[in-house]
Amino acid sequence: MSLKSKLNRFKEHLTKEAPQQQGSRVKDTGRAGGTLEPASSGPFEPASSAGQEPTPFSAPQPARGTAQPDSAPVNSQANMEEIPFMDKWMELGAKPYFWEDEHVMVREVRYPISQRHGHYAFAGLYETIAAWERAGFEHPLSASGRSVEDLLFFDTETTGLHGGTGNTVFLLGHSRMDGESVIVRQHFLAAPYSEAALYRSFLEDSQTATHLVTYNGKSFDWPQVKTRHTLLRDLVPRLPAFGHYDLLHGARRLWREDLESCRLSLIEREKLGVVREDDVPGYLAPIRYFDYLTDKNPDTVAGVLRHNEIDVLSLITLYIHLSALLLSHEQQVDISEEERFKVGRWYEALGDTERAMQAYRLVADSVHPLRDKARIAMGSCYKRQKDWRRALLVWEGLGNSGVTLPEDVLIEMAKLYEHQVKDLEKALLFAEAGYDRWKQKAALLRRRSKAEEAAYRKRIERLEQKLRTQAGPDLDYGGGLV
Amino acid sequence: MKIKMDLAKILENLKQDERFRANIEHWKVIPPREAATVPFPDDLDPRIRGALAGRGIPSLYTHQETSFRHAREGKHIVAVTPTASGKSMCYHLPVLQTLTENPEARALYLFPTKALAQDQKSELHELIDEMGLSIKSDTYDGDTPAQIRQTIRKAGNIVITNPDMLHSAILPHHTKWVSFFEHLKYIVIDELHTYRGVFGSHVANVIRRLKRICAFYGSSPQFICTSATIANPRELAEQLTEENVVLVDNNGAPAGKKHFIFYNPPVVNKQLNIRRSSTLEARDITELFLTNGIQTILFARSRVRVEILLKYLQELIKRKLGEKTIQGYRGGYLPSQRRAIEKGLRQGDIIGVVSTNALELGVDIGQLQVCVITGYPGSVASTWQQAGRAGRRQGESVVVLVGSSTPLDQYVIQHPEYFFERSPESARINPDNLIILVDHIKCAAYELPFSKGDRFGRAEIMEILEFLTEEQILHHAKGKWFWMNDSFPAHNISLRSASQENVVIIDISERGNERVIGEMDRFSSMTLLHDEAIYLHQGTQYQVEKLDYEEKKAYVREVQVDYYTDANLAVQLRVLEEDQTRRAAETEFAYGEVTVNAMATIFKKIKFETHENIGSGPIHLPEEELHTNAAWLSFSEQVLDVVGKSEVERGLVGLAHVLQHVAPLFVMCDRMDLHVIPQRKAIHSGAPTIFLYDRYPGGIGLSEQVYKEMDTILARAEELILSCPCESGCPSCVGAAEDGGKELALTLLRVAQGGSLHVS
Repeated sequence: MSLKSKLNRFKEHLTKEAPQQQGSRVKDTGRAGGTLEPASSGPFEPASSAGQEPTPFSAPQPARGTAQPDSAPVNSQANMEEIPFMDKWMELGAKPYFWEDEHVMVREVRYPISQRHGHYAFAGLYETIAAWERAGFEHPLSASGRSVEDLLFFDTETTGLHGGTGNTVFLLGHSRMDGESVIVRQHFLAAPYSEAALYRSFLEDSQTATHLVTYNGKSFDWPQVKTRHTLLRDLVPRLPAFGHYDLLHGARRLWREDLESCRLSLIEREKLGVVREDDVPGYLAPIRYFDYLTDKNPDTVAGVLRHNEIDVLSLITLYIHLSALLLSHEQQVDISEEERFKVGRWYEALGDTERAMQAYRLVADSVHPLRDKARIAMGSCYKRQKDWRRALLVWEGLGNSGVTLPEDVLIEMAKLYEHQVKDLEKALLFAEAGYDRWKQKAALLRRRSKAEEAAYRKRIERLEQKLRTQAGPDLDYGGGLV
Repeated sequence: MKIKMDLAKILENLKQDERFRANIEHWKVIPPREAATVPFPDDLDPRIRGALAGRGIPSLYTHQETSFRHAREGKHIVAVTPTASGKSMCYHLPVLQTLTENPEARALYLFPTKALAQDQKSELHELIDEMGLSIKSDTYDGDTPAQIRQTIRKAGNIVITNPDMLHSAILPHHTKWVSFFEHLKYIVIDELHTYRGVFGSHVANVIRRLKRICAFYGSSPQFICTSATIANPRELAEQLTEENVVLVDNNGAPAGKKHFIFYNPPVVNKQLNIRRSSTLEARDITELFLTNGIQTILFARSRVRVEILLKYLQELIKRKLGEKTIQGYRGGYLPSQRRAIEKGLRQGDIIGVVSTNALELGVDIGQLQVCVITGYPGSVASTWQQAGRAGRRQGESVVVLVGSSTPLDQYVIQHPEYFFERSPESARINPDNLIILVDHIKCAAYELPFSKGDRFGRAEIMEILEFLTEEQILHHAKGKWFWMNDSFPAHNISLRSASQENVVIIDISERGNERVIGEMDRFSSMTLLHDEAIYLHQGTQYQVEKLDYEEKKAYVREVQVDYYTDANLAVQLRVLEEDQTRRAAETEFAYGEVTVNAMATIFKKIKFETHENIGSGPIHLPEEELHTNAAWLSFSEQVLDVVGKSEVERGLVGLAHVLQHVAPLFVMCDRMDLHVIPQRKAIHSGAPTIFLYDRYPGGIGLSEQVYKEMDTILARAEELILSCPCESGCPSCVGAAEDGGKELALTLLRVAQGGSLHVS
């Protein structure tokens, strides 16, 4: 039997990866074009969220293609003519970048910095950096010492979702401030054999930036760029050692419990006031790209380019907004008590108890339901600052006023009484209260860890033992603290 | 209280014992063997010598020295030696020597299982410590903590892993291993003989991918393989590595005296030639050794048997030694459970273990004194492997092979010369099985694009690349084929099982504490995990409440019943294409492609002690379809007229029964890998036919081998039936006795071998 007929017979076994429904792959370019906005209209609609004046899109025409990528030598008219649908590329604001006999497409879009994107104008980035300078403390998101041009707001589109060698990065997009403009530049892999050109184009373009600002770029985009770059390492200069602000971590810290997921598009809608229309969702990007490779028509991927463009613009807005929330003592910002509480948590996790306290105190003084949690957290901060007396004061006060203290706080109290205050009776009292609380919770959750239970019992037994042997009127209550 | 006896005393008693003696078909004493040693090679690093001398090793065994010399000359080698012969030194020495000279060098050690990798890691670490070198070696597998993975990738001199990990975690991420691949000098493949059948065919392709990546990074590593005894180690090594390989087989390790006893359970029904159950006999023999405190391993052929035997023995021993001193060991147990059992055996806390062939491999469980094998393991090589578990370098040891009633067992047990004189079987792989090959071409394309004119190992692949391009999995441009799909191909491909996804077994006995206790491949689950099946795990019985075939989950609940279940599989077969045919007189032999449809139909409940059938029920599971290869023999329709329709039918069933047992012998595969079914009226020809097919999509070369060796297989089948003492057929030859079944099968056999129709 011929190999060909054998291959067909076993097709079902051999092509698990093949597109399940042929229909989902857009063959008909006319239809694909139809789903997209005409290139002449604005790339996205302005923000119009509640509580804010809808800002008219004052400059609906971004200055397209007014600048070329600096070193893209569009040297040969003949080469240009070989590029299919060059007219459509031009309409999208894209030009070719050539290297040897390969080319990639570089699309450029400019916006004035006065343009609003969601709740902020791009120009707000200047104020953000200034605020970090003034704040003068260390934070993973601090841009202190940076200039606006240092930051490359960066996002990729890839042919797959899993990390791995075969997942090709086909679009490297970034936005960046340049004087009075924000420049979006997108390096697009016009054919899979042109990757060396893709990375050369990107590297020439990004040389002067020092820091990437991404959304999950630390664990996905940048490693994937590194992976593909490794395959080309003999053809392409080294990748720069960029600093990296990954905004996903911050977004998770603030909004994980508030939103069903921390997808960027959801955060745009719920937190940034950015509204996307006719967006091509990210998960369709690979299929659009595969279709483009067949038809070579830029219309097929225009939606993907727009999607990525909004992504890299929203990164600016998100960075401004996260910074504003973190620096709310610095800046005027609309911040909820939940956010303030989470900001406190974040500072606390970074060991900055002072700023954590500032945030908690504001929540504690409010009438918000998080008030008690904020007070408990303040107790923890005092404890961290070794101010045992205050910590106990806060916690006991809460307990006396009927607030249910979690078992780990009760155990902290037991520890403080045992080791710092040296009041074993109180220590025992709180250890037992903690154990009771734990038992209640374990019963509710139907989860009982033997190891945990043993730790509680051990503590109680030890305290009882100590009490028996040490009992006497001459105990040094207070331990010199009072 | 009885006084415990030592091994010699027990053997003495057994020789005297009348009942036992009557059942011994053969008692062979294999004399001890002296060591053959040579001085350390001149170029062996003084630190390595020092470490060996520190262990009291003043010289090398001959096979170790030969391996070292060949490896130093840059040759690829395969070393074949029995268990406990210092086999691992065949690769440790050249690898460590190279590392003393070039600290940048890297080596990859491949073991078929994680357990073996763990063993070797400990052994290697000790050796390296004693040498006082700063060589970094570690295991890299699913258990490796994420924090240290990066260190291993960047700096590990010796990386110890398994083919599955290489396939799904290392090769698809090769860009994280740049300096490893750039400096890779040696690839060590231990337990080479396990890479056969489906698994071996997959691994051969993983090695093609590995070599392709090495070439990309500019290295061309040397292969050092070690193998247990099989007929074709060099051929297998060359097929797997696609390199010219030198064979090293001058074993110089000593061995202790070994008693090899062929034991045939007594006949309990003369007419039907039914013997006492081998399971019960093996249990009794094992008990004798265990109660005297002698560490014993009991091998059983299936998971179910393991669990049944374990249950029996734990009951028996409970009062004397404590239940936990006897443990089960088989696939489906969780890794942590297995590690604990291995350790218990080494330390002597566990004196008895009941195992499937999972313990055939070199998992280090120390030296056991006695090995009892329930039923012939199916191949000479496998039998020696299991027997090797008892007794290592010194001291007396015993192996008892207990025959079952199956035709092959009866043949082997009554013809010990066949076993002792026969060379072990060959291991077969078919790396170019279309499904396996295409699977790995996808993975390879994911790892690096293919270029025009490329081959994949020795395989021609241009047509396949074009096919995958048409199917929109690859993209072809400028003479290159690029992976253009959003999936991660290695995740969909399992090297081990025919079916892609396993069924997870979930214990729901305790509400709020549901837990996964094991897993099983989908095909086996049809007959072992259907609703109401009794599933045995670590001697505990579970009843399957529900098999969710779609979700691949089986929910089981602990029960205590006195039966186990046995399911029937109904099979239909159609011929799609005849690739080769030949005629011998009235009979046609052919080889080609077939479709098999299998469906589990009913199950029976069988009582433990008496093995009587106490009930049955239907199984409602969807049909499974299999495209594969088959060999078949077709009789002319004339036979029907001369012999009679129903007679031919019975003859076919009987002959199929014999072939099911004999044929796997010649292709070295598990009985489960090659299936036999008779058809009175084959769909494609209308003629009476017996099919032997590969139980893996696309076939792995087993039936092709059967086609080639059909003459020998038929001759052996005839010999087997003739030597069976029963009157007209029994479970040991043609199966359940029906009128003249034996004679009818013989008639068909003679016809098939060119004889006249009228002989009978």
